Amino acid sequence: MAFTDLIWFARLEVIVFLGGLAAIIAYRLVTGQINTSFLLCTKEKDGRHELSPARVQMFLFTLWTAMSYLMQVVDSIQGATPPEGVVLPDIPLKTLAMLGGSHAIYLGSKAYLMMFKTIAKGE
Amino acid sequence: MLLLLQAAQNAPPDIVSQTWLTWTAGWVSLGFLGLFGVLILYYVLIGKIDLSGLISEPGGDASMSRFQLLIFTFVIAACLFLIVASAKPQPAFPTIIPQGILILLGISSSSYLVSKGIQAGSKQGLGAAAGPQVTVKGSSSNTTPGGATIQFQAAVVGLTDESVTWAIDPPAGAGSIDANGLYTPPPAAGAAAPAKVVVKAISKEDVSVSDTETISLL
Repeated sequence: MAFTDLIWFARLEVIVFLGGLAAIIAYRLVTGQINTSFLLCTKEKDGRHELSPARVQMFLFTLWTAMSYLMQVVDSIQGATPPEGVVLPDIPLKTLAMLGGSHAIYLGSKAYLMMFKTIAKGE
Repeated sequence: MLLLLQAAQNAPPDIVSQTWLTWTAGWVSLGFLGLFGVLILYYVLIGKIDLSGLISEPGGDASMSRFQLLIFTFVIAACLFLIVASAKPQPAFPTIIPQGILILLGISSSSYLVSKGIQAGSKQGLGAAAGPQVTVKGSSSNTTPGGATIQFQAAVVGLTDESVTWAIDPPAGAGSIDANGLYTPPPAAGAAAPAKVVVKAISKEDVSVSDTETISLL
């Protein structure tokens, strides 16, 4: 067998492993076999779970950033004028700034809630 | 795997045809990695590698930091593979990893670490390391008077005795809960039921350790 077979098999292995793992995780996330309970909620002092805007915005930004980058990579591969050499497309600074802001809101919200709960319980 | 892909493609054909050792090493490496990958997938499928808590916090709720780290890891891995495999005229690694990607992964990972740090500052987020803790979780967050029962589970960490005592608030007119955590809503035809019922699990070993969950009676 030639080296082209080796390359073909290496490609196949990566596709099967990455694709298989992603498919299993996606299926289990959707069916609830991987715990996603209260992903978008925070737990209040009295035990109630309430929808958290900080978590919702981070969820949306995460999906949007991931999908837009994936599309950018696909475009760069299939584009009419592919870039010279082997290049991973860069992520626009504005996207990074927005993602950073999203994380800051989420972490700030989490820190505030943790402090608030601790003080409220007198611990 | 990707390095192997690149090395195999870069090897000059005239030399490669005579170098059986290179060819053998390539296939052995590929076979080993392939078997390893298949074994991991098989263990995941049969449940020997448990993924149920992949994005969960110690308290049992899902973690947004873990979720976004999972998404970005898969997307960056898939993008890297696409770029390497589609490089012309032969598969090759990118010569430069753009700063934006490093910053993205940096934001994602540092956010996860800061999130863990915030949790470490709170007894609620640490599990056993922060001392005894009870965490309550119900099979549903709402029911109706005369409607379906709700099964509650209490996870006890940091204590030898993992049994709990169940209680509800208000104690009268809000249904009942048995010793196994099975909540039964009040009958539909009875007195007016409260809109919210608080279910509480109290550790039998240390009564100061408890947790609550609120359900709605719609």
